[in-house]
Amino acid sequence: MADFFLQALVQVGTPSVLLLILIGVLFGIIGGSIPGFTVTMAILVVFPFTFAMDPVSGVSLMVGVFVGGYSGGIVSGVMLGIPGTPSSITTVYDGYPMAQRGEPGRALGIGVAASFIGTLISVAVLVYFGPLLASFSMNFRPWEITALILFALTLVAGLSHGALLKGLLAAALGLLITTVGYDRNSNLRFDFGFDALGAGFEMLPVMIGIFAFSQLMGNLEKLRDDPQSAKGANTNVAIPYSLILRDMASQKLNTLRSSLIGSLIGALPGTGGTVANFVSYDQAKKFSRHPERFGTGIPDGIVASEASNSAVAGGAFVPTLALGIPGDLPMAIMMGVLILHGITPGPLMFEQNPVLVGAIYASLLIGAVVMVVCQLLLVRWFAKISLIPQQVLVPVVLMLCAIGSYALNNNLFDVWVLFAFGILGYLLWKASVPLTPLILGVVLGENLERQLFRALELDSSWLTFLTRPLSALFLSMAIASVIFSLYQNRKIQRHQDDGAKSRNA
Amino acid sequence: MLTLTKDRALALSMLVMSGILLVETRDISPPTSWQPYGSALFPQILLGIIGALSLLLLLRTFWVPSADRKTRPDRPRRSLTSWIKHNSTVLSLFGLFALYALLLPLIGYLPATLTFLVTSLALLLGIDTRRKWIINLAVSCTLAPLVYVIFRFGLNVWLP
Repeated sequence: MADFFLQALVQVGTPSVLLLILIGVLFGIIGGSIPGFTVTMAILVVFPFTFAMDPVSGVSLMVGVFVGGYSGGIVSGVMLGIPGTPSSITTVYDGYPMAQRGEPGRALGIGVAASFIGTLISVAVLVYFGPLLASFSMNFRPWEITALILFALTLVAGLSHGALLKGLLAAALGLLITTVGYDRNSNLRFDFGFDALGAGFEMLPVMIGIFAFSQLMGNLEKLRDDPQSAKGANTNVAIPYSLILRDMASQKLNTLRSSLIGSLIGALPGTGGTVANFVSYDQAKKFSRHPERFGTGIPDGIVASEASNSAVAGGAFVPTLALGIPGDLPMAIMMGVLILHGITPGPLMFEQNPVLVGAIYASLLIGAVVMVVCQLLLVRWFAKISLIPQQVLVPVVLMLCAIGSYALNNNLFDVWVLFAFGILGYLLWKASVPLTPLILGVVLGENLERQLFRALELDSSWLTFLTRPLSALFLSMAIASVIFSLYQNRKIQRHQDDGAKSRNA
Repeated sequence: MLTLTKDRALALSMLVMSGILLVETRDISPPTSWQPYGSALFPQILLGIIGALSLLLLLRTFWVPSADRKTRPDRPRRSLTSWIKHNSTVLSLFGLFALYALLLPLIGYLPATLTFLVTSLALLLGIDTRRKWIINLAVSCTLAPLVYVIFRFGLNVWLP
């Protein structure tokens, strides 16, 4: 592997790829720092620009966006008190009070340093556990892969904020979208007489349509309902380097713990940066000798939040690369990038494309260094950019989405697919349907059908899914995840009922 | 009186969709002699699941009030016309995007993109001050050619 890593480093180390990583990191930070824009949106906007690139360049650019995006949320979190991304919500708890106290540079510096260390630790986790998991999953046959995909989908649907039924519905709908067009046996399905539907839907316009339209229109509605949410801030920031070094020296254990929590949670399907953020903040508070000071603007809270959400980047790559199962929404789109470049993530990727795997490691490492330099040197400008109003941003992003979808195949049909799925995504969002299971269904649908039928062609009995130990284990875990989320929903409902009763009393 | 809540509308539309598609699966070619199951099986399983989940969701709406009703019981129910009025900006933006997709092949990338950007920025920013017009035109006239140059010369992608 070391040889391949060196080969990858040579490829990633060329000026053009380094420039792409720099552009990716800058765009990621900008995307992450604009409230409501999110890392996922930044990845979707950059995605079309990778079509004409070779796999290493395309993946390096996307990894740059990924690393920058997870660290970008801190800028608006600290300066405006609004998390730039959901994965930096707890950064606001201590970052904003510290900035309000007149130390925005210190808050930003601590956050950036914690992000940097978090990313490095998560890369170490990826380098160690990625190949281990891949070699273990080499023994998986179609029954196990089918069961594993079902487990991932039920887990993601179950984590949909108390909307299990809608989460499962969304996942099934996502899988159904992939059945349009010719299947593996060259049989045509659901074309409704349109020749263009014969090839099925391209993954990119479907994903962009579902996610981008609902997100952008949602931002506009939020602005309409609460015009005060767009506020200004003082963007004059000076970074006190020596103080930050002292702060970080006193946070060694917290940084390590939060980074490991972030890496671990990132590797679990359906969780991502937001969950990592809250869990590590909670753990830092529990381990602290002064828990009562959390939320008042102390370094501990910023470190816990930023180290964990940045560590998700490396952790989330583990199941994506080793199993072909993306952990969260940004990773699902990242998997789309790899598929578009003709690379199928999964256990064989480590054998068939070791240089590309090495390139991902190298890009993550270089991206982390570039991120820390950019953040510290340009933080004042990022703070200014985070004030760009949504009214300007929305039309620009919509235009980029349209052009990106067109550029995929030089085909206007894809722009209409984007529009149709934009309407679908918006309506589903209005009906409070979680969109992550839907997108994950779109990404995993083709593989699920292929593996299911391969299993049935090898052995036509459905019972084999239950007689093979690993397959049975994954299916039991899928059922357990549904039961657990039913229990959680019940608990949430009881809390809501109690709250309503006490309000009425 | 029964009202059409979001959940009911979702469940009913999903039920109708799964019914129509289930009928449509009859047109899919049957399995050949070497296939244990045909190409219709997978979509049929999914449509069955969607139908069952939608039915559950529909039934659930009769005994569990929606979370929205519980947390905001005082919020008035909107009629379709007032909903359209309330969401006029978002709906107009959808309309402008459809127009953009129509215009792209007809008048080409640059005029279509400039039209889309100027009109949608005017819709969202407003046109009541000179400053807003300057921002509108500066963003539109910079971004449209810039994206063209990046795609055409940087990435060798032809735009319409």
